[in-house]
Amino acid sequence: MKMEEDVKQSLIKQFNLPEETIRIPRPRRIFLEISQEKFKEVFDFSVKELKFAILLTITGLDEQERFGVIYHLARETGAILNIKTSIPRDNPTLKTITPDFSNADIYERELMDLFGIKVEGLPPGNRYPLSDHWPNDQYPLRKDWKQEGVTFEQPREKQDVSEKSGGDQNA
Amino acid sequence: MGLTKKIVTWARIKSPWIIHFNTGACNACDIEIIAALTPRYDLERFGVLLKGTPRHADILVCSGPVTRQIEDRLIRIYEQMAEPKFVIAVGSCACSGGVFSGCYNVKGGINSTIPVSAYIPGCPASPKAIIDGAVKLLASLKG
Repeated sequence: MKMEEDVKQSLIKQFNLPEETIRIPRPRRIFLEISQEKFKEVFDFSVKELKFAILLTITGLDEQERFGVIYHLARETGAILNIKTSIPRDNPTLKTITPDFSNADIYERELMDLFGIKVEGLPPGNRYPLSDHWPNDQYPLRKDWKQEGVTFEQPREKQDVSEKSGGDQNA
Repeated sequence: MGLTKKIVTWARIKSPWIIHFNTGACNACDIEIIAALTPRYDLERFGVLLKGTPRHADILVCSGPVTRQIEDRLIRIYEQMAEPKFVIAVGSCACSGGVFSGCYNVKGGINSTIPVSAYIPGCPASPKAIIDGAVKLLASLKG
């Protein structure tokens, strides 16, 4: 547990954090909660100084009045640092981390599609992972989302299929 | 039934060519379809041959529920096949949507999008069930 304690102490020393914001529930797992304002500098310090230089994934959470976002960073030795921040639901905006981690692109697009979080600075691209015909203002991983009443645009070639004989006898 | 039609039907039943298309399956049904085709179960003894393109195939073998993203791809592949064409839905998901029905990204079974000739239930459908379904479809063509 020495390595985890070292990480914890250096974070506390650098940013003057209260003790309870960092949890070490078991070896090689470190959890850190940080406000949105302080997030950028803590994130950069963890990546550049503490050498958590691998981005595993980004998790989105619906916490009713706020959205939680967890960045899972790793060292090559297997230690994982989970940095959690949260953003208000009425203005869900994040800054992109694609300049540091180009693989964050798909994770940030997932946050955009599934939670409706706006990611500033993300280069334009295809939508991911929802389908091409998905309505623009529907975010299915929000807890208050209901599928009833949502109309999905019909695919282009839909109309002339049902008339054609496909041998619709049941074998 | 005229003589020409008889010969065509005979030829079709003797060697139906299939194309396998995964419309959103978890891969279990795909593995069982491959197992049914390979020598241990040997669907080829009924003349069934796996083809690489829908333009050469008589039967479209679908596994998995129809996801919203695959929907118009499935229709496009179905329309590329020459008439007469048949569709076999392999597995519970292909038959009805299975455990995925009601998911926001899933439309339903294969018959929510294109007409289906034979339903083969099972999770995954066993190679024996797939062979049974294929043979029953071929028998129904004799008519």
